[in-house]
Amino acid sequence: MFFRILGESFLRNPARQWLEAAALALGMAITTAALVTALDVGDRMAREFRRLGANLVVTPKTDTLPLEIGGTDYRPVEEGTYLHDEDLGKLRTIFWRLNLVGFSPFLEAPAELERGQNRFATRLIGTWVAHEVAVPDGTMYTTGVPETHPWWKVEGEWFPERPLMNGKEQEVTVKAPPEAVVVGASLASRAGIRVGDTLKIRIGGREIEATVSGILTSGGAEDQAIVAPLAYVQELTGHRGEYRRLAVSALTVPEDEFAKRDPDTMTRTDYDRWFCTPYISSIAFQIKQSLPGAEVRVVRQVAETEGRVLGRLSALLWLVSVTALVSVALVIGSTAATTVLERRKEIGLMKALGAGRGRIVGLFVAEQVFVAVCGGSAGYLAGEGLGYVVGKVVFGVPATGRLVLLPVVMALALVVTLAGSLWPLGRVARLEAAPVLRGE
Amino acid sequence: MFWRVLKQMILRGRGRLAVALVALASGATASAALLNLEFDAERKFSRELRTLGPNYLVRSAVPPGSSDEPGAVFSEEALEPLVRAAHGDAPGMELAPILYVIVRSPGGETNLVLAGTWLDEYPRIAPWWSVNGVWVKDRADTSVCLVGQQAAARLRVRPGSPLELRYAERTAKLRVAGVVSTGGAEDDQVLANLAPAQQLAGLPGKISVAKVSVPGSPREVGERAAKLAPQLQGLEIRPLRQIAEAEGQLLARVQDLLFWSVGLILMLTSLCVLSTTLALAVERRADVGLMKALGGEMTRIVRLFLMEAGLLGAVGGIAGAVMGTLLSVWIGRQVFGTATSLRVEVIPLILAVMVAVALLGALPLRLLSHVRPGTVLRESE
Repeated sequence: MFFRILGESFLRNPARQWLEAAALALGMAITTAALVTALDVGDRMAREFRRLGANLVVTPKTDTLPLEIGGTDYRPVEEGTYLHDEDLGKLRTIFWRLNLVGFSPFLEAPAELERGQNRFATRLIGTWVAHEVAVPDGTMYTTGVPETHPWWKVEGEWFPERPLMNGKEQEVTVKAPPEAVVVGASLASRAGIRVGDTLKIRIGGREIEATVSGILTSGGAEDQAIVAPLAYVQELTGHRGEYRRLAVSALTVPEDEFAKRDPDTMTRTDYDRWFCTPYISSIAFQIKQSLPGAEVRVVRQVAETEGRVLGRLSALLWLVSVTALVSVALVIGSTAATTVLERRKEIGLMKALGAGRGRIVGLFVAEQVFVAVCGGSAGYLAGEGLGYVVGKVVFGVPATGRLVLLPVVMALALVVTLAGSLWPLGRVARLEAAPVLRGE
Repeated sequence: MFWRVLKQMILRGRGRLAVALVALASGATASAALLNLEFDAERKFSRELRTLGPNYLVRSAVPPGSSDEPGAVFSEEALEPLVRAAHGDAPGMELAPILYVIVRSPGGETNLVLAGTWLDEYPRIAPWWSVNGVWVKDRADTSVCLVGQQAAARLRVRPGSPLELRYAERTAKLRVAGVVSTGGAEDDQVLANLAPAQQLAGLPGKISVAKVSVPGSPREVGERAAKLAPQLQGLEIRPLRQIAEAEGQLLARVQDLLFWSVGLILMLTSLCVLSTTLALAVERRADVGLMKALGGEMTRIVRLFLMEAGLLGAVGGIAGAVMGTLLSVWIGRQVFGTATSLRVEVIPLILAVMVAVALLGALPLRLLSHVRPGTVLRESE
């Protein structure tokens, strides 16, 4: 009997049930989409922030003070200590290796460019572009400047990199054929250099020839310099296998109070938690462990802005989600209330026919639960779809589906519909049958 | 008669209408709050991204055909147009002229970079710096300096220590006010005010570069820089591409994200509210039937209900717009620490949307014009 009445109530007057279910589905779709986006925004935006380039800089530990002005280190090449590039494969073995977007070592030396009658004092910078690194586990990893300095633009082409031979770096000889290099835009315009030109460069008492494969615009000191393959600059300066500075770009999570604690004073569990969270400090710590004699510096300018903007953005999205959720809950609750208020006469009739209060409430609750389950699941699916679309449109990567949200959304749908309908239901069920039927 | 019926309808149906009003008002609240936040997002986030520090660099222009001099300096007075702009049409613009000098440490054993600048500007121009000791608050103070943490470790100085720097035959006696941790090249440097550095280098009134933080949206920043360029004679103002470019791209992403999520939420919320007003209309079928049975003209009856719906939408819309505005102010405080600047156009917009949704919800009543009153009345029993 109970189920027959329940079935009849849906079949006889489908419009209001469907309207309520539709409102619920829409509301839950908003909630799901907002939650999916809010949950995903940290990861997605962290990747966007990598446009700022390296957030970690590795330098030798026992070094003289760098004389860095405007991005150029004016220390003589003989001064200070160096790090070894054969260790760099180890970076791909740290716990958070998959969070490393890329890294590129730098070695630079003053040089002189000869151009007709003119001589230009400049610097030769050696680095990687798409360099193959042998990782200790036997795999290869390709990385370089495009990952760590994504704002560098080359007109023409980057110089070609030598592939590894049997997992080892190839020997570089300074003799012919001339090496390809990339020239900074300011230097190129001052000296009238074009792609394809051959340059005469004096470095460390030697005179070499190089061809120009591209013109580099960086907006920094590199605009005044010549960029060449690292191995070539190492050979020219007599620092074979060495570099002075390593730029590392890593995906991190914003630092909280916990991350700012000193790892030395942490308990074992705290330390494990810190080590296994991609905080910039824990990634810096792991890099330091894997590179002997290295000092790792967090580029705080980038890291702190990133942390704050990410924090604010996700706080904003959470509040937007909650705002949408609360307003949707009120709307749905009022729809549920409307459908119950509308059926006062039905309730009166049931009462007149001898139905108890529990019976009537049970019937309506069952009806609302059914509506909530239908609307809630439809809304969840639609919301996941919307989250997918928003992720795709904004970040080019769809948001990850979150099955965790299904029970959350279902529970919300139930709470909202029941809360909306129980209050008027309680009032109506208390009424006497006769006046209701009379229409008072 | 029309107005009396309308009044009676509203008074009698208080319970139901109140319920519908809650739906309309809460939908409008969310919409108004989100619209306000969305309109303000660019300004808010571009200000947040300005904590990335200077986005422009001013230096002396290098003429074609000549070599770039690392030691090139220019006169401090050439920055006058920038100072004027910072006090005039570009409020919030930060400016720090710097003179770099490579000096010898007290014992003469190491070289290090001394950067003479306006130290009082740094809490604003480089907010990520943290200082152990005190900031220098006065740019005229020639006796103090800040030391980068690496340099401090090398020089073995602490806040309060004296520090003597040498250049050629001259020396500068300074007191360390604080040790700064910057995460950049300044960690290896000593920072003093401009005057002692100029004195030590023997270059009175000269500077090497000026770092400028130009505020505003990427478009405004570009316009301001372009406007300043011709006023700076013999100098070039160059964007720091790392910062300037990433800033624009990040901002575009944030805006896309908010635009899409807010747009979707607004659309779906309106539809959700629409379903409530539809439910209200469905319920009114019996009333329409009764009025028709009593001899009411269909156009009049429909007008009556549309009027009711319109009033409902207007009241809900106004209430929601006011509450939503307050909500967006509160959210702005919570998230950014500053209130959201309010857009007046949001209120009429929300009002229009809510009235439209309410009317749209009431429209199905028109479909009842062909219904015979008897059927509707019997059905509702």
